[in-house]
Amino acid sequence: MISQIGSIAISLAGGLIFSSFLFLGLFKILDNKKYLFVAERAILATCYSIFLAFFCLLNELLVSNFNLQYVAQYTSYETPMFFKVTALWAGQAGSLLFWSFITSLFTVVYIFTTLKRMESLKFHSYLILAFIFSFFILLSNFIANPFDPVSSDIIVQNGNGLNPLLQNFFMAIHPPILYIGFTGSAIIFVMALAASISKDITFDWVQSIRRWSLFVWTFLSAGIILGGYWAYNELGWGGYWAWDPVENSSLMPWLTLTAFIHSSMIQEKRGMLKKWNFLLATSTYLLVILGTFITRSGVISSVHSFTAENLGPMFFSFLSLLIFYTIFWFFKRKSYLDTDDRIDSFTSREGGFLYNNLILILMCFTIMWGTLFPILSEAWDGNKIYVGASYFNQLNIPIGLVLLFLMGIGPLLSWNYTSNDILLRRFKLPSVLSFTSGFFYCLFTASFQLYVFVAIMGIVFTLTSILGEFFKSYKKQKNSSNIIISVAKMLLSNRHKNGGYIVHIGIVLIFIGFIGRAFEVEKEFSLSPGEQIYFANYTFKLNSIKSEARDNHYAFLSDIDVIDKQNQFLTNLKPEKRIYFYWNSDPEKRQPHSELDIHSTIQKDIYSIFSAYDAQKNLGYFKIMINPLVNWVWIGGVMMVIGSLFAFWPSRRKV
Amino acid sequence: MNKVTISISIVFVIVVSWIFYLTNFKQDSSLTVRYYSVGELSDISSQIDKVKVGGYIKPNSIIISEDDQLDASFFVYQNNDSVKVSYYGIRPDLFKDDAEVVVSGSYNNSQISATELQTKCASRYEGDLKNIEKI
Repeated sequence: MISQIGSIAISLAGGLIFSSFLFLGLFKILDNKKYLFVAERAILATCYSIFLAFFCLLNELLVSNFNLQYVAQYTSYETPMFFKVTALWAGQAGSLLFWSFITSLFTVVYIFTTLKRMESLKFHSYLILAFIFSFFILLSNFIANPFDPVSSDIIVQNGNGLNPLLQNFFMAIHPPILYIGFTGSAIIFVMALAASISKDITFDWVQSIRRWSLFVWTFLSAGIILGGYWAYNELGWGGYWAWDPVENSSLMPWLTLTAFIHSSMIQEKRGMLKKWNFLLATSTYLLVILGTFITRSGVISSVHSFTAENLGPMFFSFLSLLIFYTIFWFFKRKSYLDTDDRIDSFTSREGGFLYNNLILILMCFTIMWGTLFPILSEAWDGNKIYVGASYFNQLNIPIGLVLLFLMGIGPLLSWNYTSNDILLRRFKLPSVLSFTSGFFYCLFTASFQLYVFVAIMGIVFTLTSILGEFFKSYKKQKNSSNIIISVAKMLLSNRHKNGGYIVHIGIVLIFIGFIGRAFEVEKEFSLSPGEQIYFANYTFKLNSIKSEARDNHYAFLSDIDVIDKQNQFLTNLKPEKRIYFYWNSDPEKRQPHSELDIHSTIQKDIYSIFSAYDAQKNLGYFKIMINPLVNWVWIGGVMMVIGSLFAFWPSRRKV
Repeated sequence: MNKVTISISIVFVIVVSWIFYLTNFKQDSSLTVRYYSVGELSDISSQIDKVKVGGYIKPNSIIISEDDQLDASFFVYQNNDSVKVSYYGIRPDLFKDDAEVVVSGSYNNSQISATELQTKCASRYEGDLKNIEKI
């Protein structure tokens, strides 16, 4: 019964969204505001129908209604309740409905807050939103309907269950957080287009779109970091970023949105760069759709891509229409978006933002080029050529290092123009400390690496510059004897700016983590109990390998002592090799899983994987990785998100 | 155009040209690897230094060395074609018969010596109704 209601709700959403086009058309022809009002109600009703469908699917997952294909595919009676909820976005059909659900949430907020104040944007906002909705609703109705029943000739006794690798808290929350970022960018897209088409770009609009952007950016950042954290802690390859097309697809919109957040500040302060900002705001959502096309089309061979239903042509058509619409209005409103002001000085805050934009866009371009290269090369001469991680690293490391320095240079520049005297005074301390740190690196390093050298200098330069800014603000605010109150007052005095600085410190900390990658070492080896091996200044002694039948898996448990070079016991590692569904007579259904054990400190991680066990010889196969500084990536990621939240929350300002 | 715009444009052109140079379609770049279908490879007898191939693991083709469990060979198939792959190292947890894999390495004597073996990411695990317990 509930599944029928859900199915009807999806169909109803389709009917409602197409009716909104009719009312929008009538409004345009008859110029009668009541039709615009009805169109608004139709869009809201669409959102409510999607909410209903979403909750119906949630109910069916929770009660294990295996009459639905989707429920049978992704859950079983044994699936814990929490992961039954997360199965909502585990597969294609559910994730598409989930996408529409979040878009609906944003649409309701957008209509009741932003559009309440910006009446002139209503018509075009509704038109574009209706178009976006109709696409996703069509997919949910006709291509990937989560309410499709199982074939009438089978009765499902128990569902498949969720892959053990996905039964991880961070993996469970990573997709919805990323989806919030992805779908939220639709509102930025709608706002940018609607305001340009309506020729109503106001100061209030700039502030509003910036706040939406910060919100979306926070979730995109958190989603990307969580994905890396899950991969590192669960997948067992010891890394957090592999430049996979799907990873790149989330990074590209993040880069353009980051650029937009910076350059829209120039528009807010000086009314400049309207055209550029229009392109950045719209391209963020276009890149989200491009990424979705890559993920769901199977056009690029990726270990991440969905393959069950080929949605490629649909997403390609949708993307093409959006691009065409955006370009059409860009040229149609070109003169309106033109601004007279020019950035004349290299040494101005605006110039700094522009360089930052250039770097971010270059980075985005290199990633897009590398990601789409197989398609482009195949179109060129029929050969599908992939570029590997070395391509992305070779290009993005130097570009990223320039960005690192720019984060430190920006705060030292004044708006309009910075005189040479001021420039010299402000650059003195960061430069001196930066060169000193570089000097000490050269002095103490055993093997000089250029990128590490530059990165250390960049980190010190940028940290000094930002902390210097904080100190200046602190001195201005210091009117209380309590240092904590003074710091809090200083931070709250300009949340927007200080939040941005906290984000920048977070990124600097992430760079510290990146430096560690240059010093990673790993070794694969086999040991029998009682044997030991010396590697990277540590002795790894295998004490025992035991086995144990547990509730839902069978585990081989290793016990390894780690002894440092002073012959002191450092830690004990217990990586496991698990076999899920081991009781199943069909070996196909058994699922091996390597449960890692990581000795994690702020300096380094000792990362252990129990990869295989030879029972006959009582021999364990292991992989040990020494990953320096990796925790700084997570600390920096958390700081980035905190800074962003601080910048836009809480506020009495309007959304 | 003012000097800031000109400078930025120059930097942009230089970097983009660099990107094009690194990934030149016809150049045998160290940064690129050509993707072959299994069918294409079965028609090639010469040696290829770098290949990338995607397909499925042929059922019952996985052989793990008795001397060293990290030493494995298997066949990857696509439609009616298959190619032998040898791989030394830790295998992903999802590595098993019929698993979708992407392998990279060199091709010689009609087999691939893989240096990289990836299975379909667990996050894209599409539950298959054929495995469901039925009454």
